[in-house]
Amino acid sequence: MNHLEKLQSHIRQHIFMMVFLENILLVGLWWASITYTDIDPFILLAASLVISLLLSVIIMYVNASYIMQPVKALWQAILHLSPTDHTVAAPKIEDLKVGRELVTTLTAQIYQLANTAEHAVQEGQQKTTDISNNFVAQNLPLPLFVLDDAQTIKFANEAAAKYIGIAATELIGKNVYMVLDMSFPSEDTFDTWLKDVKINSATATKSWERVRMTVRDNHPTLLFDLAGYYNRNNPQKLETMLVLFDHTSQYSQDDQAVSFMALSVHELRTPLTMMRGYIEVLDDELKGKIDPELEGFILKMRSISEQLTAFVNNILNVARIDNDQLELQLQEENWQNILSGSVEMLKLRAKVRGIELEYNVAPDLPAVGVDRLSITEVINNLVDNAIKYSGTGKTIKIDAHVTTDGLIETTIQDLGLGISTSVMPNLFTKFYRDHRNRAQIGGTGLGLYLSKAIVTAHGGSLWVRSKEGQGSTFGFTLLPYSKLTEELKQSGNQEITRGAHGWIKNHSLYRR
Amino acid sequence: MTDEANNTTGRKILCIEDEHFIAELYTRALSKAGYQIEVVTDGQQALVAAQTNNYDIILLDLMVPNLTGIEILRALRDPARVPKIKSKIIITTNLEQRDDIRADIEKQADGYLVKAEITPHELVEFVNTVQ
Repeated sequence: MNHLEKLQSHIRQHIFMMVFLENILLVGLWWASITYTDIDPFILLAASLVISLLLSVIIMYVNASYIMQPVKALWQAILHLSPTDHTVAAPKIEDLKVGRELVTTLTAQIYQLANTAEHAVQEGQQKTTDISNNFVAQNLPLPLFVLDDAQTIKFANEAAAKYIGIAATELIGKNVYMVLDMSFPSEDTFDTWLKDVKINSATATKSWERVRMTVRDNHPTLLFDLAGYYNRNNPQKLETMLVLFDHTSQYSQDDQAVSFMALSVHELRTPLTMMRGYIEVLDDELKGKIDPELEGFILKMRSISEQLTAFVNNILNVARIDNDQLELQLQEENWQNILSGSVEMLKLRAKVRGIELEYNVAPDLPAVGVDRLSITEVINNLVDNAIKYSGTGKTIKIDAHVTTDGLIETTIQDLGLGISTSVMPNLFTKFYRDHRNRAQIGGTGLGLYLSKAIVTAHGGSLWVRSKEGQGSTFGFTLLPYSKLTEELKQSGNQEITRGAHGWIKNHSLYRR
Repeated sequence: MTDEANNTTGRKILCIEDEHFIAELYTRALSKAGYQIEVVTDGQQALVAAQTNNYDIILLDLMVPNLTGIEILRALRDPARVPKIKSKIIITTNLEQRDDIRADIEKQADGYLVKAEITPHELVEFVNTVQ
């Protein structure tokens, strides 16, 4: 017989005993009344009914609390374990007069179930919050960082700690930007992405290439690709995940690989530095003390070395254009200052060839938006060409004015050989040189190619007008700075970066 | 003019340069302008000298034997270094850098000059502006 049947039979017996005793009592009272008294049988019946009612009420109360004892104990046991109600004490099973065995067994079952449930909840929580116990996260053979909604590092795996050389315990709880000082090759950084996705996306993924990071001073710079994952709805607020793919050796080889071009340029520049230095010393020390003809030779040497320096810069810039690496920082500049500065520098080159530079700038030119270094090279190249093709004793006219379209136009006019119409279309092609005078006049055919690319990148245009035998006029237009400010406002930055082949997004890392 | 002379007189410059001709030219021009100039041709020695903190200005070539200029720069500009190196550091190089690397170097230095672009006089003019 199980505990439940036992309880049932116990209760049956109990109720039977109570009802039986009540009936015996009633019958006894009734018999005693008619035997020993002569009370009116109607009154007797009424009295019996009242007594029966009273007894029933007493039996009801006694029985109800008696029978309910096991139910109450079980109720107590369940409430005692409730996670929301902590006011109910555990039942005292030893005080139970009825159903003790059943209650003992059932409460044991309840406690066991509660225990299992709690354990399951804890285990579940551990699975989600404590990813340090997550086998995959911890043993992933790639550096992994997990961040919360405030960009605090909540987890860094072993590979991450090893990669950046800082123990995981030291990383956790720190802001990611304090620990990972990453530089990106463009303005499209992790930071800007995260700010954007936090507003605009529930989940997002993204990757970056060639990210640089200096962990500690004296620690070599790390170079890697980066993958980011974002999920706004993570219940533990572990919103962001970062995985790093190391390419330090590969990328730094690229970095350090001094290309043939860079090496050649260095080898050219070093003797140039010395030549220019010694020529300057001679110029300083001998000026006015030697034959004017010799003084002229020194000036010529100086001019030639300056020309060579300009040529080295031309090679570098052509390489930049060809690799799509020419980038300009357009800033507000006074065009008259730039132009007169460049012309001053070029006067020596003209002077040693007996050529005069005539210079005429319209007053009140508006400010231009230019990259000073690059646009100076355009002036250098165009004036240099004019000097080369002018012939001795001539004048070169340099003029700057505002066009009817509101552009700033600069023209360089020589009275030299002129250009035949047949060669005009090739004029701006790289390495192109007019075959008629190749033997007499030096040059590489890079100057016009370069100038056109630079002017175009500035948003202007370069043109030529020439008649054979009557000289040539080269001209280029530039945008006034006021036209660029619209673009500046849109980009929200202080300067504009442009590439040779159109627009390039703004960022601070690239500088010429 | 006298003000400038007073400013430059006695200012000490460490010139880290392994090309003797360039070092000679720079020494001549800078000492004429009133600077005290010392030349070191080796990277390791340069770092030792720079760490004495005895110089107002350091001219740092990026291609020197034994330690690269970048390594020297990084060691001198280490934020954990005590005491701080008070010298102004001007990079003087003929190397062509990738733009981002150059920007990185410029951030840590107080000036960046391409040697072929300037004459010794122009170097002096630049150094005069570095306070």
